[in-house]
Amino acid sequence: MFRTTIAGLLAHRLRLLLTSLAIILGVGFIAGTFVLTDTIDAGFSQSFTAAADKIDVAVLAKDEENPLPPSLLAKVGSVAGVKDAQPVVSGEAALIGKDGKTIGELVTAGVAFPSYRMDLTSGSAPVSDGEAVVDTNTAKTEGFRIGDTIAVLDDKNARHEFRLVGTFDVGVDQSLAARGAVAYTPATAMRMTGAKGYAEIDVTTAGPSRESLRTAIAAVAGSGATVQTGEELASDLAASNGASTEYLKIGLLLFGVVALLVAGLVIYNTFGILVAQRMRELALLRCIGATRRQVFGSIVLESTIVGLVSSVLGLGAGLGMGGLAVFLLNTFSPDVEVPTGTVTLSPQTIVIGLATGLIMTVVAALLPARQATKVAPVAALRTQTEEHTFRTGVVRIVFAVIFGLAAAGLTYMGVTAKPDESALMTVMAGGILAFFSVLILGPVLVTPLSGLAGWLPGRLFGVPGRLATENSRRNPKRSATTTIALTIGVTLMTFMAVLTATMRATADQELDSQFVADYRVAAQTGDVPHAVAEALRGHPELATVAEFREAEGRLDDKDYPIGTVTSSVLESTMRPKATSGSTDGFKPGTVMIADYVAEHLKIKVGDDVRIGTEKDATPLRVVAILDSESLLPSITVPEQFFAERFGKVDDNQILIIAADGADQDKARAIVDNAAQPYPAVKVTSSTEIRDQFDDAIGGILSVITGLLGLAIVISLLGIANTLSLSVHERTRESALLRALGLKRGQLRGMLTIEALILGLVGALVGTVLGIVYGWAATETIAESVSFQLPVGQILLFIAASGLAGVLAAVLPARRAARTSIVGSLASD
Amino acid sequence: MTTITSFRSAVTAQGLTKVYGSGDAAVHALRGIDVEFATRAFTAIMGPSGSGKSTLMHCLAGLDSVTDGHVSIGDVEITRLNDKRLTMLRRERVGFIFQAFNLLPTLTAEQNILLPLQIAGRQPDQALFDRVIDTVGLRDRLRHKPSQLSGGQQQRVAVARALISKPEVIFADEPTGNLDSRSGAEVLSFLRTSVRELGQTIVMVTHDPVAASYADRVVFLRDGLLVRELEQPTPQTVLDTLVALEA
Repeated sequence: MFRTTIAGLLAHRLRLLLTSLAIILGVGFIAGTFVLTDTIDAGFSQSFTAAADKIDVAVLAKDEENPLPPSLLAKVGSVAGVKDAQPVVSGEAALIGKDGKTIGELVTAGVAFPSYRMDLTSGSAPVSDGEAVVDTNTAKTEGFRIGDTIAVLDDKNARHEFRLVGTFDVGVDQSLAARGAVAYTPATAMRMTGAKGYAEIDVTTAGPSRESLRTAIAAVAGSGATVQTGEELASDLAASNGASTEYLKIGLLLFGVVALLVAGLVIYNTFGILVAQRMRELALLRCIGATRRQVFGSIVLESTIVGLVSSVLGLGAGLGMGGLAVFLLNTFSPDVEVPTGTVTLSPQTIVIGLATGLIMTVVAALLPARQATKVAPVAALRTQTEEHTFRTGVVRIVFAVIFGLAAAGLTYMGVTAKPDESALMTVMAGGILAFFSVLILGPVLVTPLSGLAGWLPGRLFGVPGRLATENSRRNPKRSATTTIALTIGVTLMTFMAVLTATMRATADQELDSQFVADYRVAAQTGDVPHAVAEALRGHPELATVAEFREAEGRLDDKDYPIGTVTSSVLESTMRPKATSGSTDGFKPGTVMIADYVAEHLKIKVGDDVRIGTEKDATPLRVVAILDSESLLPSITVPEQFFAERFGKVDDNQILIIAADGADQDKARAIVDNAAQPYPAVKVTSSTEIRDQFDDAIGGILSVITGLLGLAIVISLLGIANTLSLSVHERTRESALLRALGLKRGQLRGMLTIEALILGLVGALVGTVLGIVYGWAATETIAESVSFQLPVGQILLFIAASGLAGVLAAVLPARRAARTSIVGSLASD
Repeated sequence: MTTITSFRSAVTAQGLTKVYGSGDAAVHALRGIDVEFATRAFTAIMGPSGSGKSTLMHCLAGLDSVTDGHVSIGDVEITRLNDKRLTMLRRERVGFIFQAFNLLPTLTAEQNILLPLQIAGRQPDQALFDRVIDTVGLRDRLRHKPSQLSGGQQQRVAVARALISKPEVIFADEPTGNLDSRSGAEVLSFLRTSVRELGQTIVMVTHDPVAASYADRVVFLRDGLLVRELEQPTPQTVLDTLVALEA
């Protein structure tokens, strides 16, 4: 039997190629994920090891709030065996760009560290007070050159100038890479950042071992410090980074599992068809004495060989994909530097890749193999192959109904439950059951659905269209398995599209109700000088200018930030929502409190609370409990009361509403001008925030859609496979049609339409499931969501699925149309 | 049919040669055949296995290309046509009945019968349809799928399909090869009736002397050459001729 199986495999190698491709892609994706994350991990640990190699012992502050006292440096330096001890300072340095404003969304980091740790890309390290270096990326994007004068704000927002003497590479420090960094001498760094101490002290040894030096230094360092050797520091840093690649790995593996699941369906279908087509061959084997077990074994052996070969190829593909991802990451994301080691397949990757591919293939082939054992030996003697008739069995209906009811029940429970994670999980479980119900019902659904999908082609393309519709439903089981593979991808894509569209709409609505201001003025570091608000007043283009101020204060003898807001805001469209009481009663002698504070302190409307400073607190009457999403400070007191208690405080933000009908550009110019003198004071508009949010969510959607694209590609291989096998089965039929006058193009068209119908059926089921569960999921995320159906996107998915089906048909259709009529008629 | 009565023959072949393969492996299936098939006549092509009778039919019907020589159907020389033209010609002027796999399993009997007309985008002639259906006796089977029909019924559907488009010539390749003698006799009678009553032209390939005896004329092939002809054959004369050829 072994030799027969091998011979059979060789004879059908072309046919098995498409199946292999499905496995190769699935295994390749999984292996590629491991390759990518392994490479990144290796790169990080290499870089950390390299960095730590230069440090023998490091003294670290236990928490960022309490840095190492400066006096410790001298103490550590005087420990016997220490050659050199240098401080690391870490803080903020609001670097001013060419536009006169501080750079970036996040404040640039202000640092100092030993010159041997500084990876200079040009120039030299700072040695005097007036010198500084910036990181290479910032220098590039801002166009700074060595010799330029750069301006940085200190912690009091005072402007200082430095001569740029070099640029440096921040290496693997993700935080510095994201923020950009200015490095000074340690003394300057302390002054500029206002740091009260050092983040770290790096020590090199004059001779003693790292271990002994660490013990000696630990003795003087005190309880506020952690003392580590270079190796320990490196492995700690690498471990904390490994945790973040773990998320990437799990996320990518989820998509890999989806791809493998789809590949499994494709394999199942292919083996099913191969067995059906080889009925006579198998029956002949049975005639000449092969047992059922041998027939079963031969199919399983076949799938094992296919699985093994494809998985090995899949590992190769994974290596390629992982390498490509590493290359793309390094080429197209200059902001985030990802160090990468050499791209390799680890033993773990090989084992996981081979095992998943092999098990998937063999398991998928088991049912077809069992089917093969049912062939009666006498079938070898029959000349005509039987048409596959399909009757809806009672068992099928019963199972489908059970799954369907369970799915509906779980989904209903999840949707009606209080929105939280467990509700979402319940809905997802319902979704999986619903999918199984559809899987079971597939053959029953395919017939009416293909009629629906084939209605238009049947009208448009005449006979080929109608024949295609008939063909697409002639073997409902096969069509169902073929299309369900596509359904998985489309379901998930639609689900994500619905989810993101709804989230976007909900967020937009929230922005509308909460961020009613047109512009927001806030400082990157510190507060907005009061003069900005003064400059904004008196312009007819601006309807409301609301200043928000906050100060450290006390509420009933507990520390709380106390805030106030320009009272006119309460009459404006920014008017906050009160969950109880009313903002109308807000006047001297009263206070408004955010709901989460009120809940925590059990405060109700009408209560009196004592508000003020530690020395001087006054009872105020609570008139309103504010919605937690309101923009107001959590404890809002009247302006005058605030001024009396806390004196003149700068604004922590200013919200501005433009007048109705005012020129937007003009209004924006007024706001920009008011903020211009203060580098740290930045203006954002609600449209900018919305755009940023939309961009972010759109980016996520396109990444996910791209990853799900793999599942779609695999299911296309399935369609192409099924179609080419059907073409093979229907060789004589095609020849007959050609003899009866069907043109080559029409025959091609017929198969293309069949594939189109299969694609559309898969997409229809997928979009329905995706929409239903997208809706259900949004119901579990928040109490009030504005459900949004991304009609355009969904239509695009359906059209793309149809088009994909058409693409899948190209090769099989060509082959069918090329076949000679006479040869096909004569073939047995 | 009236449009082509001015032509003597429905199908003509001159110097028809067909070679498969080349060099040492070349198989000369047809070695230069000159033959004509009269309109409104039922002609049978006979010969021993491997004599080239099926190849001749395929070449005559434009299903296969010829190596040398000419074939005309009506006034059209088909050996010069490309695939597209040939397809159009088959649509308009040729009908087929095969030994097996004659019908599309997904279509009902009626849909199968009307298929050639639909492919050609022509409207069926209701009167002709009724007459054909009644002739072959399929009125109560029209809504059945092929799998629900007996072998004889399936072949009758194929005959009806060939007749419905009023082709200039019907090629039948062993139409009774898979049938029992009673069903075979029925089908052959229909073919003869369609020639006598509907004025159809039929060329039939067969190896069965009884089947050949239903024809008006029998041509005999041996080793790719036309070797004998019989007018008004009987089973006995056909059998005698075959025996003589084998000798």
